[in-house]
Amino acid sequence: MLADIITPDLFASALRMATPLALAAIGGTICERSGVVNIALEGIMLCGAFAGVAVTLAVGNAWLGVLAAVLAGVVIAAIHAFTSINLRSDQVVSGTAINILALGLTGFLMEILYGHPGTTEAVTTIKPIFRFASERGGGGFVAEVWHWVNTILFSHTPIVYMAIIIAIAMQWAMYNTRWGLHLRALGEHPRAVDTVGVSVLKGRWIAVLISGALAGLAGANLTLEQVGSFTENMTNGRGFIALAANIFGRWTPVGSYGASLLFGFADALQIKLQIFRGEINIPPQFFLMLPYILTVIVLAGVVGRSVGPAAVGKPYEKG
Amino acid sequence: MNSKTIRVLSVLLALVLLVAFVPGCAKKTDTGTGTSDGTTPPKSTVKAAMVTDVGGLGDKSFNDGAYSGLQRAEKELGVEIKVLESKEITDYESNIDQLATAGFSPIFAVGFLMTDTVSKMATAFPDTQFGGVDEFFDPVPANVVGLNFKEEEGSYLAGVVAGLATKDSFDSKLNSDNVIGFVGGMDIPLIQKFEAGFIAGAKSVNPDVKVISLYAGNFTDQAKGKELGYSLIEQKADVIYAAAGQVGLGTVEACKDKGALFIGVDVDQYETVANSGDVMLTSMIKRVDNAVFETIKAVVDGSFPGGTIKVFGLAEEGVGLAPYHDFESKVPQAIKDAVEKARTDIIAGTITVPTAP
Repeated sequence: MLADIITPDLFASALRMATPLALAAIGGTICERSGVVNIALEGIMLCGAFAGVAVTLAVGNAWLGVLAAVLAGVVIAAIHAFTSINLRSDQVVSGTAINILALGLTGFLMEILYGHPGTTEAVTTIKPIFRFASERGGGGFVAEVWHWVNTILFSHTPIVYMAIIIAIAMQWAMYNTRWGLHLRALGEHPRAVDTVGVSVLKGRWIAVLISGALAGLAGANLTLEQVGSFTENMTNGRGFIALAANIFGRWTPVGSYGASLLFGFADALQIKLQIFRGEINIPPQFFLMLPYILTVIVLAGVVGRSVGPAAVGKPYEKG
Repeated sequence: MNSKTIRVLSVLLALVLLVAFVPGCAKKTDTGTGTSDGTTPPKSTVKAAMVTDVGGLGDKSFNDGAYSGLQRAEKELGVEIKVLESKEITDYESNIDQLATAGFSPIFAVGFLMTDTVSKMATAFPDTQFGGVDEFFDPVPANVVGLNFKEEEGSYLAGVVAGLATKDSFDSKLNSDNVIGFVGGMDIPLIQKFEAGFIAGAKSVNPDVKVISLYAGNFTDQAKGKELGYSLIEQKADVIYAAAGQVGLGTVEACKDKGALFIGVDVDQYETVANSGDVMLTSMIKRVDNAVFETIKAVVDGSFPGGTIKVFGLAEEGVGLAPYHDFESKVPQAIKDAVEKARTDIIAGTITVPTAP
C-alpha cells in the first residue's frame, strides 16, 4: 500500500501542482513587500489563463500565448496599482473588485469571441522539455533510481522550471540589489525611501506590475501547459491559497515557493490516498479537505504570529 | 478614503457589474419563423423555453443537449423557442419568472440545482408547464414533469466495454494489468449512479478487475482532472471513465499524454473534445435532447405528462453508448456483442443495475 502512495509521480505531481501557486505567491510577496496588498492574484491568474488560450487559438503559437498571459496579468495589475497607489483607495476593496471583474470579463469575452461561455476549444499544450525514457520496476537498482530521478526532476514543462529559477532569482535580488533594498524599505517605512529621493509611487507600481506578470504566468501554466483549454473560473481559488503560501513563506520568494510545494504535496497526497478509499471506506470528501486543513494548521500553529511588512495596506501620501 | 477615491471606485464597480451581467442578459432568442433550408415549418402556438444551469450554453454537455432538443422542436414542430442563461444560482428564479410572465410554456429548467426553484415557480404560475431535467420532485406538482435518466444503465455498458478492453490488447495503450479507473466530479448521488453502473458493468464481464475511483471535489478544475488521470495511469489503469464535467477534459489530456483510453460522458465527446480521437474509446450519452423534444411534442399533442417523473433509460433510448469512431475497426466483435447482450438484458429486466457503489 505504501509503495502505491509514495511513488515518483507523487513528488512530480506535487511540483506540477505547486507551480501556479508558487508563481502567484512570489508575485504576492513582491507586491506586499512594497506595501501593497494584492488579493487580486486569483483574478489576475484567471485573466492570464484566458489570454494565453485566446492568443494561442488566434495565432497558433503557445509561446506567444504565454507572453500574452504575462501582459494580460500586467494590464489587470495596473488597474490595481492605479486604484491603490494613485487613488489611495482601500487595497482589499480594489482587489476584490478585480476578482469579480476577472470572472465577468473572461465570461463576457468568451461570449464575444467564441459565441458561448463554458469552455474554449483546446490548444496543443507546451510539452515537457526533456523526454528521457525510463521504466518503473524496469529491472535493477540503477534503473529504478533513474526512473525516480527522471520522473521527479526531468518530466516537467518549461514554466515549472521557470518558477524555481524565478524563486531563487527574486530571493537573491530582494536581498542583494539596490532594487531589493528599496522594495523592502517601501513596505516597512516608505517615508524613509521618499526622504532619500526614491519615488514611492514608482517603486510600488513596479512591484504591483511584477506581481501581475507572475500571476499571469501562473495562469499560462494552468491553461497552456497543464490542460490546453480555458474554463470559466478554472483557477478555483488558487490565488487565495497563494496568498496563504506567501504568508506561510514569511514574505520571501523562496519561502513562498516552499510553502506552495507543501500545499501541492498535500493535494498530490490526497489523490494518492483516495486510491485506497475503497479498502478503508472513508468518503472522498475527507481527502479533499486535507490540503485546506493543512493550510489552517500551518497558518494557525506552525507559523504562529507572523508579522508582515509594517506599511502593507497603507496608502502613501507624500507629506 | 476621500470623496474623489469613492467616486472613481464606484465608477469602476459599476463597470464591473455591467461587464458581469451583460452576458447574462444577452440575446439567444430564436423565433420559429423559418428554417435554413427554406421549407416552411409546421405552425404551432406553443412557445417553449429553457433556463440553463450556470454552465450555460457551450458546456458541450447537458445544457447544449437540452438546447438541441428545443431547436429540433422549432424545426419539426414549429414552436417558438427561447433560452435564458443563468450566470449565478440566484438567476434561476428571475429567469423562470421572466419566461413564465412572457407566456412561455413549457419551460425547461436544466439541472438538479434548480429543483426547489421549479417547485416554487410551479405554484406561482399554475398555468405554466415545467420540465425539470435531472430534477426529482416528491410529490410532483400537476404542472411539472421531472425528466430523469438512468445514468447507471448507460454507465453499465461503459463498464462492460472497459472491463473487456483492459483484458484485451486491440490498442497499444492497453496494458496487461487488470485495472480501470473512474473520475467523479463531486461525491453526490447523481455521480454515484455513474460510478455504481460502471463498476457493476465491468465486474459483470471481468469479475477480478480492479476499479479505482477518484473524485475531484468540483466540476471545473481541469488541472485537478489531469492529476487524477496521471494517478490512475500510474496505478496501471488503461481505460478511464469520467463523469466530472469539465474536470474530465483534464483527464483526457492525461490519457493523451501517458497513453490510456478514455470514455466520455453526457454527449459524444469525440465530437466535442478536439484532437481526442486517439484516446476516445466511446462515450456514455444522455439524450437530454430527446427528453426535451418528446416533452414539447407531448405539449403540442395536448398530452403533457404533468405530475409525473419520466425516467429515460436504455429502453427509452434516453441513455446509451456513442459510436467507437476511430476505434470502430479495432474493437473486437466480442466486445460489441457483450455490450449488445447487456443492453438487451437490462431492457428485458434480467439485469438490475445498482445506483450506489
